Amino acid sequence: MSIDKFKDKFKEEASDNINDLENALLELEKNTTNKDLIERVFRAMHSLKGGGAMFGFTALSEFTHNLETLYDKVRNGLKVIDRKILDITFEAADHMKSLLADELMTNNEIKTKHKQLAANIESLISDDTQTDVIPKSGSSSESSIKTYYIYFEPNPDIFANGTNPLYLIDELNSLGNCKVFAHFNKIPPIDEIDINKCYTYWEILLATSTDENSIADVFIFVEDQCKLEIDEVADNDITIHADFIHAITRLAIEKKDVGIVEIKNLIKKLKLNANVALAELNEPEKRIESSKVKETTISSIRVSSIKLDQMMNLVSELVTTQARLTLFAEKTNNTELNAIVENMQKLSRQIRDNAFDIVLIPIETMLIRFQRLVRDLSQELKKNVVFEAIGAETELDKTIIETLTDPILHILRNCLDHGIELPEVRKKLGKPEQGKIILKSFYSGTNVHIQIIDDGAGIDPEKIRKKAIQKGIISENDELSDTEIFDLVFMPGFSTAENVTDVSGRGVGMDVVKRNINELRGDVVVDSEINKGTTLTIRLPLTLSIIDGLLVRIDNDLYVIPLSVVNKIHVVDHDSISSKFNNLIVLDGVQYSFFVLRNELGYKSEPPKTERLILVSYETGLVGLVVDEVFGENQAVLKSLGKLYKNQALISGATILGDGTVALVLDTNKMIKKFSKNSEIIN
Amino acid sequence: MKNDSLIKINSYLSFKLGDDEFAAHVGKVLNILELVKITPVPKSPEYMKGVINLRGAVLPIIDTRMKFGMSPTQFTQNTCIVVMEILMEKDTIQLGALVDSVLSVVEIEDDQIQPPPSLGSKYKSEFILGVAKVEEKFIMILDMDKVFSSDELILVMDSTEDL
Repeated sequence: MSIDKFKDKFKEEASDNINDLENALLELEKNTTNKDLIERVFRAMHSLKGGGAMFGFTALSEFTHNLETLYDKVRNGLKVIDRKILDITFEAADHMKSLLADELMTNNEIKTKHKQLAANIESLISDDTQTDVIPKSGSSSESSIKTYYIYFEPNPDIFANGTNPLYLIDELNSLGNCKVFAHFNKIPPIDEIDINKCYTYWEILLATSTDENSIADVFIFVEDQCKLEIDEVADNDITIHADFIHAITRLAIEKKDVGIVEIKNLIKKLKLNANVALAELNEPEKRIESSKVKETTISSIRVSSIKLDQMMNLVSELVTTQARLTLFAEKTNNTELNAIVENMQKLSRQIRDNAFDIVLIPIETMLIRFQRLVRDLSQELKKNVVFEAIGAETELDKTIIETLTDPILHILRNCLDHGIELPEVRKKLGKPEQGKIILKSFYSGTNVHIQIIDDGAGIDPEKIRKKAIQKGIISENDELSDTEIFDLVFMPGFSTAENVTDVSGRGVGMDVVKRNINELRGDVVVDSEINKGTTLTIRLPLTLSIIDGLLVRIDNDLYVIPLSVVNKIHVVDHDSISSKFNNLIVLDGVQYSFFVLRNELGYKSEPPKTERLILVSYETGLVGLVVDEVFGENQAVLKSLGKLYKNQALISGATILGDGTVALVLDTNKMIKKFSKNSEIIN
Repeated sequence: MKNDSLIKINSYLSFKLGDDEFAAHVGKVLNILELVKITPVPKSPEYMKGVINLRGAVLPIIDTRMKFGMSPTQFTQNTCIVVMEILMEKDTIQLGALVDSVLSVVEIEDDQIQPPPSLGSKYKSEFILGVAKVEEKFIMILDMDKVFSSDELILVMDSTEDL
């Protein structure tokens, strides 16, 4: 691996760390005294600093170092978290992101920002030392110094990760009095030496006032690449006892390694410590604990999204090939082959489901950005807004999540800018001063619904109507329902904001939002009540690539209807359908409206005598779709029809059948919506 | 690199639509297929014939004759699908163009190509890169990107009637 690859890896990890940092900060804001959260913030910074220095992101590392100092004070109770600190940390987190992208600060804006922020942080730190000098000197008193025994044996290939173990030892040295014993007995004869490997290991005695965790922090990046033992051996600084050091040095030279037992014996012999027995008792427990931690850390692994995409493509191909095999096996009438194929089919179905599960990620992953936006923007706009997420554990295909983030950010910006009123206005209207934006997500069949609900001013349909007439989108005489009027918001070039602000209201945006969501085969609707608030509902398919479908025939062409919407199939006489003028039919005592697909899709050939009516679920209930014939279930790998067919609304994609022909997948929701509009016009 | 080397090649694939001969640069042509069953896509423009399966991918098929304002392609033994790579709004897309017959690959040097006649031609000159005379026949060299990324029909033969 070249250094660039390490840099990329670091960047990836660093942005995760910054994410974690932001997340912890947002929680910290709610609960400023939570020690765990402060620790999380500190840890994220520490990792950033260490990694940054290791991979040459000097600016980032130095910058984080100052922040770390600040939080170290918070951690030690010398300073309390206040708005000032939080604000600057948030700003710093943003700045770290830009530093990652532009490590050398070639952009002057970043450079100025860097200087300014660094100065601010330093003033915060020094500001603190003036007021809190006394407790500081108290905390680092003699009595808290303990001596630790550290056994550090790096894996031979530790150099491959760019780690220099000596730097780690240097870092230990900076924590307190340090005695280092290096062991060279594992170095092989000279002709067997691989210069890329590390053969040296160390025993270290460290007398320090910091605790065991901080010592472990030094090794944070090499945890998995070394044998590491950290044990408290004495409750005072034993490295200052010349006798002890002398004895132990002799031991280190004579023997391969000294070992904790020998050291403890020696301490006992020299009566340097009264609490050895106690420390010894604690020791096995600690070991178990650390091994537990290791087990949990490997319960999830990081995989590049390119690999996942490749896997999904392969699974798609597998499913298609499986369909061909099934078809072929059926023809051969070979029972043994059929049995194998059936088994294969089960397996490939399981693989498919599993693969899907892997690429699903929870909506939670988007939340940090949303929370940040709401926090920052509400402050900027002097509005008091709280953001709440319900059902954030709802999972969606990762490509959907990626495409969805920007549209939702835009919607939130709109909510904050136009939706939520200023506190004074809200008070006058008898609403609580604090506005609320809720992001609610939930499953509904094979769809996921995401709602963005605010309790703001709402949208005045009359206002939109006027605006639309003014812009020539609709004419004065058009009678529109409220839903249709709200739909106008998504027209290109439409903006109802009286004043164009730099936040939103430029008239670009909502149409892009709708387009992005449509591209994901989803749709979006607005519902609003004046002074009560606005609800924006985004409906999305769970996955994009493979669906279970029902294979049907119309004329000579095959179509797939998503099985998830299919409710029941009825056999109907053609005559009984064609005689119904109002497209209503009574089945099992219930009346349904229906559409004859061969007519709606423009087929002109003679229909068969008996047809099939498929009841599919639609927004308003069950609707019948009439086709010529139903073949059965089919696993459809959805392929896009491509750019040339981008205006095609009735078809959500195509799939390749076992015999190599193409069948189109019908989007029943959009289809029924369109057909019912058409028939309204006719009526 | 790849594009540079393509431009330097002076080979063109010639094909027939009706009685006229056309040519497309070989750099645009990926494949020539025999006619297979085309799955029609309902409610789409008539010249968009539908889609086929090209090694697991869905390939849209366009009736080139109709795009040029001629009568729809009559499927014969000679009818072919020419798979092409077209630049459309900054994206490269693949499509299959139905042609009456594929003739040959001809070498046409740059200096053999004359600018398209601006007057008297029945085709809009913006879609034609030039005209070349090969073995006493005129071949119209098409700008494939423009032909297929444009929504309009290319023929202007009847334009006098429209005016």
